Amino acid sequence: MRLEIGEIIIDDVQFGNSTKVENGTLFVNADEIKSIVLEDEHISSVDIDLAKPGESIRITPVKDVIEPRVKVSGNGGIFPGIINKVDTVGTGRTNVLKGCAVVTCGKIVGFQEGIIDMTGPGAKYTPFSKLNNIVLVIKPKEGLKQYDYEHATRMAGLKIATYLGEATKEVTPDTVIPYETKSLFEQADLYPDLPKVAYVYMLQTQGLMHDTYVYGVDAKKIVPTLLYPTEIMDGAILSGNCVSACDKNTTYHHLNNPIIKNLYEKDGKEINFMGVIITNENVYLADKERSSNFTAKLSRYLGLDGVIISQEGFGNPDTDLIMNCKKIEDEGIKTVIVTDEYAGRDGSSQSLADADPKADAVVTGGNANQLIHLPPMEKIIGMLDYVDKIAGSFDGSLSEDGSIVAELQVITGATNELGFNKLSAKTY
Amino acid sequence: MNSYILITNNPMVKKNLIEKDIFFTNKSLLGVLIECRNHIHKGHKLLSHPLSSSVKPNETPFKSVLISKSASNLDYRSLEIIESSILSTKKFISNAPQPKWPDKILDDFMLIDYSVISNTIDSIK
Repeated sequence: MRLEIGEIIIDDVQFGNSTKVENGTLFVNADEIKSIVLEDEHISSVDIDLAKPGESIRITPVKDVIEPRVKVSGNGGIFPGIINKVDTVGTGRTNVLKGCAVVTCGKIVGFQEGIIDMTGPGAKYTPFSKLNNIVLVIKPKEGLKQYDYEHATRMAGLKIATYLGEATKEVTPDTVIPYETKSLFEQADLYPDLPKVAYVYMLQTQGLMHDTYVYGVDAKKIVPTLLYPTEIMDGAILSGNCVSACDKNTTYHHLNNPIIKNLYEKDGKEINFMGVIITNENVYLADKERSSNFTAKLSRYLGLDGVIISQEGFGNPDTDLIMNCKKIEDEGIKTVIVTDEYAGRDGSSQSLADADPKADAVVTGGNANQLIHLPPMEKIIGMLDYVDKIAGSFDGSLSEDGSIVAELQVITGATNELGFNKLSAKTY
Repeated sequence: MNSYILITNNPMVKKNLIEKDIFFTNKSLLGVLIECRNHIHKGHKLLSHPLSSSVKPNETPFKSVLISKSASNLDYRSLEIIESSILSTKKFISNAPQPKWPDKILDDFMLIDYSVISNTIDSIK
């Protein structure tokens, strides 16, 4: 499967009479966006705002971040099984508006949905402060249940990202990057002397506000299976995960998974990148046994020498992470796990809620318990009334001047467990 | 007949999951986990993860955990998971105690816990 990613570099976003790209500026027609969002009868109103790098803006509570993409050629459409038909994607050409994103906000529940600061110390911890953001603040119809509100907000973000991609489909990309994974035997023959490496991609799947979708299927109902990496770049995996801002994978993270990108960079040089095994993080322990048996079995079946495993979330997924690691190691396959840490404010406590001696190669995305001081911003997009109800903040977090003292876990993407951030630690 | 016992301090779970084998307690989240550990010491097996959901144990006051109805020899893996969950919970509480939440937020926490445990029970059935 071969996919070309055509990157259209966006270095500014402005409101305009029509949605288009001119000289690196994305113009967006707010009326059209509004009418698309309000097609959903569950939504009473939407405020559309722009937030650019360096501006004194705080966005909260953030639910999802989505990169606009469009399929220019090849099978199917972006976000298959949700926005487009459930065709197999991952081939042909996909154009990306690189440097901008759609951000959805809504107080679906009264706690913990994340902060993006566009400047100041908080901005350093989130990759989304570097983007030109089109922010949708979505308000529900009176009495709408949390399940329906979450669904409506998720769909609004996906629809607007698709709309922006479609509206700029004819723009010539600034760069085109090819990615290719061949069929199993062909790929194995391509670099027979290099170690065969795959990626075990753990998806958050625990229930309301903790869900992930694969081709439209709720991933808690899958058994682990294989995907071509390029399918993921076309939106085969979507986030319905609104809890734990710092280490949830937004849809933007899935589309731009840095582990996949890095494995492709090393493909044919240091390793032979064989593909992606997706798996879930259910709560029922028998489901964990089954899923980790499958990841180990598939790793063996593919004849792998090494596996990278990433997790999403805290606590319950730590057990899946360790089970995957241990069982794959037991097959004689080397593993590296990618996680973050809840190691206490001073970083000295046990980082994960599970452990095994075989988990001896670990990449960390940082300590989510670390305290951070966020100075006030001139403008708030969204609502601040729940900031002291966000994960990692506490009574009195929000001062009268608008400043916040809280743990790093308040910031969207701060300790992302795909490594899509700047934090880590090195042991020498 | 169910093959499990549901240990919970969540009133929404008690109200909506009409279970014959529900063990309801008014204790804290940590109290629920300790109750699970007591059962595990008596030979019950853990069926669902005690640190379910990404909501941290110093945030949500509510927790529902499934254990086996039958009891036999001590299951060391269950003990290992419940002990590390208790340790983890104590770590979070020592970082910052649970805030005093308004009713609206308590309802949200109940709903999240209820959703997670309902999905888990569906997996068992």
